[in-house]
Amino acid sequence: MSNSLRPYLAAVRSTLTAALTLESFSSQVVERHNKPEVEASGSKEVLLNPLIISRNENERVLIEPSINSIRLSIKIKQADEIERILCHKFTRFMMQRAESFIVLRRRPVQGYDISFLITNTHSETMLKHKIVDFIIEYIRSLLLCISCLIQPRFMKEVDREISDMKLSLNARARIVAESYLTAIST
Amino acid sequence: MDGAFRKIDIDAYDEDVLHEEELYDADPRGQAQVLDEAKQRQVAVRSALSKSDIAGALSIVLENAPYGPTFDDAKVVTLQTVFTILSSTKSTEIPNVLKALTQEEQDTLMKYLYKGMAALGGDVSGSVLLDWHEKLTEVAGLGCIVRTMTDRRTV
Amino acid sequence: MAPELFSLGQTAISAHAFNANRTQVAVSLNSNEAQIFSRRGYEWIPTETLSEHDKVITSIDWAPSSNRIVTASQDRNAYVWQPSPDGSWKPTLVLLRINRAATHVRWSPNEDKFAVASGARAIAVCHFDPENNWWVSKLLKKPIRSTVLSVDWHPNNVLLAAGSADSKARVFSAYIKEVDARPPPTIWGSKLPFNTTCGEYPSPAGGWVHSVAFSPSGDVLAFASHDSSITVVYPAGAIHNVKMTSLPVVTLTWTAEDCIVAAGHDCQPFVFSGSAETGWQGVGTLDDTSAVHRSATRPGVGPGRLKSGAFATFQAADSRGQSSTADASDTKLLTMHQNTITSVRPYESAGGFVTRVSTSGADGNLVIWDVNEVSALTGKIGGLSMR
Repeated sequence: MSNSLRPYLAAVRSTLTAALTLESFSSQVVERHNKPEVEASGSKEVLLNPLIISRNENERVLIEPSINSIRLSIKIKQADEIERILCHKFTRFMMQRAESFIVLRRRPVQGYDISFLITNTHSETMLKHKIVDFIIEYIRSLLLCISCLIQPRFMKEVDREISDMKLSLNARARIVAESYLTAIST
Repeated sequence: MDGAFRKIDIDAYDEDVLHEEELYDADPRGQAQVLDEAKQRQVAVRSALSKSDIAGALSIVLENAPYGPTFDDAKVVTLQTVFTILSSTKSTEIPNVLKALTQEEQDTLMKYLYKGMAALGGDVSGSVLLDWHEKLTEVAGLGCIVRTMTDRRTV
Repeated sequence: MAPELFSLGQTAISAHAFNANRTQVAVSLNSNEAQIFSRRGYEWIPTETLSEHDKVITSIDWAPSSNRIVTASQDRNAYVWQPSPDGSWKPTLVLLRINRAATHVRWSPNEDKFAVASGARAIAVCHFDPENNWWVSKLLKKPIRSTVLSVDWHPNNVLLAAGSADSKARVFSAYIKEVDARPPPTIWGSKLPFNTTCGEYPSPAGGWVHSVAFSPSGDVLAFASHDSSITVVYPAGAIHNVKMTSLPVVTLTWTAEDCIVAAGHDCQPFVFSGSAETGWQGVGTLDDTSAVHRSATRPGVGPGRLKSGAFATFQAADSRGQSSTADASDTKLLTMHQNTITSVRPYESAGGFVTRVSTSGADGNLVIWDVNEVSALTGKIGGLSMR
C-alpha cells in the first residue's frame, strides 16, 4: 500500500504547495467585501484551472485554486456499502467539528468525501509549509484510519498483506504511546 | 408571488465582466486541420517510438498541442498519443527524457499529466502518471505546476 | 554586508515604506492602522499610529522630499498624511471616486501626483487642488478589465505602468495639465493625452500581473506574473520572458539598468540580469540558505522540562504522525523570511545603482539585503523544499 501511496501524496504535496500562493484580494463584485473567490466565483479571471491528482479511479484529490483561497477535496476509496457507511460516518464526525480543524469545510464538494478551504488569512497567520504538512498528514492518517476501520473484515483472509500488518502495528503502537504519555504529562 | 427573479444572476449582465474566452487568444487553426495534424502526429510518434526515440516522440506530440473548447476530437487523439508514449517508457529512462525537453514542452506535458489523472481509467494506470509527475516536478519545479493552473489554454 | 533582519510583529506586513533618510519606516501590520517605527540602533520602536481607515491597508508610500505618506486601503479610500509641528500626522482624505478596494499606491517622481490602483477596474491619478485644499482624482479606465494589482511611475512623471488580474501589463499616460509640463517624447510615445495606452503586454501563460516596474532610465518595463515568470519589455521590439522553476514572485524592483530583484511566494529574493541583446536569466538569490546565521536562530524544541529528546520524538509521532526525529523540530524554513514576501523596495543607492533593497513579508519580518551578495541557487527548489 505505502508504495503507491508515497508518489500520490508527493503529487498532492507539490500541487498544494503550488496552489498555496495566495494574497489578500478584495471582491471586485461586491464593494467592501473580501471573500474566498473560489467559493464566491464571481470573477472568472481570478479562478485558476482546477487540478485532479488520482491514484486510481476511486481515489483522488481535487484542488481548485483561486487568487485568495483554495479548495481541496478528497475522495476515498469505497468498494462496497459497508465501506461507504464507514467512510460517511467517519468524515461526518470530523466535519461536524470543522472549527477545531480551522481549514476544514463543513460540507464536502459534490462527488468528494471531505473538503478543505484554505484562505489567504490562513496562509498569513500560519506558516505555509506547515499547512501543507498538516493536509498531507491528514490525508495519510485519514486513509490509515479508514483502512483500520475496514480491516477487521479481512482478518480471516489467509493471505493478508504484510503491509496491512504493519499498519495495525503502527496504530497499536500509537495508542500505547499516547496512553503512556498522557499518564506522564498529567 | 413568483420569486424566480431573485435567482437571476445579475452580475452576468455586468458589461465589464471578463469572460472565460477573453482570457486567452484562441487557436487560429480550423477544426479539421487540427484533427488532421493530430492524426499525422500520431503516425510520426509511432515511427519515433519504433526507433525508441522517446524524447523525440514527446517533442512531436507536445509541439502546437491543440487547446481551447473547440478541438475535442483532436484533444482525444493527442491525449491517447501522449499516453502511448508515457506507458511505453521505462521508469529509469524518464529523467533523461524530461531533461531533453524544452521548458515549453515540459509545461505542456504537465498539463497532459493532470488531464490524464482527471480522466483516469482505461489503458493508463495512475501509478505511471504519478511517476512521471514526480519526476517532472523534480526537473521543472513547482513553477511548472503553477503554469498548469494559470494557463487557460487547457489541452 | 550580511542581511539585516528585523521582526516587527507576529502578523503579516502588507506594505512598508521608508522615509528619505531611512530612520523611520511606515508599515501596515495587516490591519486598518499604519504603524510608524523609528530606528534606535539595531531596533525599530513603534512611535506613531496612523488610524483613519476602517479596513485593511493594502499599500503605503512615503514621498522622500516632501515627507508625506499616502496610504490605500480596502475600504476604498486613500489618505495623505502630513507631519504637523508637534510630531503627529494629519490626514487628508482623497476623493478617489472608486467603488472597490484600493490595492496599490505610488507617489510620482516629482511627488505632485500619486496613482491608486483599485478593484474598480480603474486607476485613480490624484493631484492636489489648492483652491479646495483637497486631493482630486482622474480615473484611468479603458481598457482595464479587472482589478489593478500594482502601478509604477516612469521617471518623467507622466507615464504610468499598471499590472492587473486580467493577466496584462499596460503603460498609460497619466498626463494632467494642471500639474505637468508637456513631456518630451519618450520611447513609449510622443503625444500623450490622459489615458493614452502606450503599450499592452500579456503574461505568457495567463497569470495575474502582480508587479510592474520601469527601469531606472524608464526605457524598459519589467513585470512579474503569477505563471512563475518575469517578463522584460523593450518597447522597440524585444520581449524577454524568464520562466522560473520556483513559485511565483509577486514583487520586483530594478537595481540597475541590467538587474532586477524579485521576490514572492518562494520566501527569498531572486536576482535576474540581462539586456535587450543577450536576453534575461536568473542569476541567483540574495538569501544564502547555507549560511551559518540560520542555525543560531533556530528555536529549541520548546519550554518545559520533558520536551526534549525522546519525548519530542514521541510527541511528534503521536500528534503529527512523523516518524523521523530529523525534521520533528524543523519548523523553520531555511530562508530569512518564513512566509511570502509581499514587497521589495530600493533601500540605498550609490552612483545610480541600488546597492541595498528592503523586503517585508507575511511573516512580520523586515529584511535589508545587500544587492551584490548574490549566491547561487542551491539544489532544493527555493524555500519550500519537496519531501
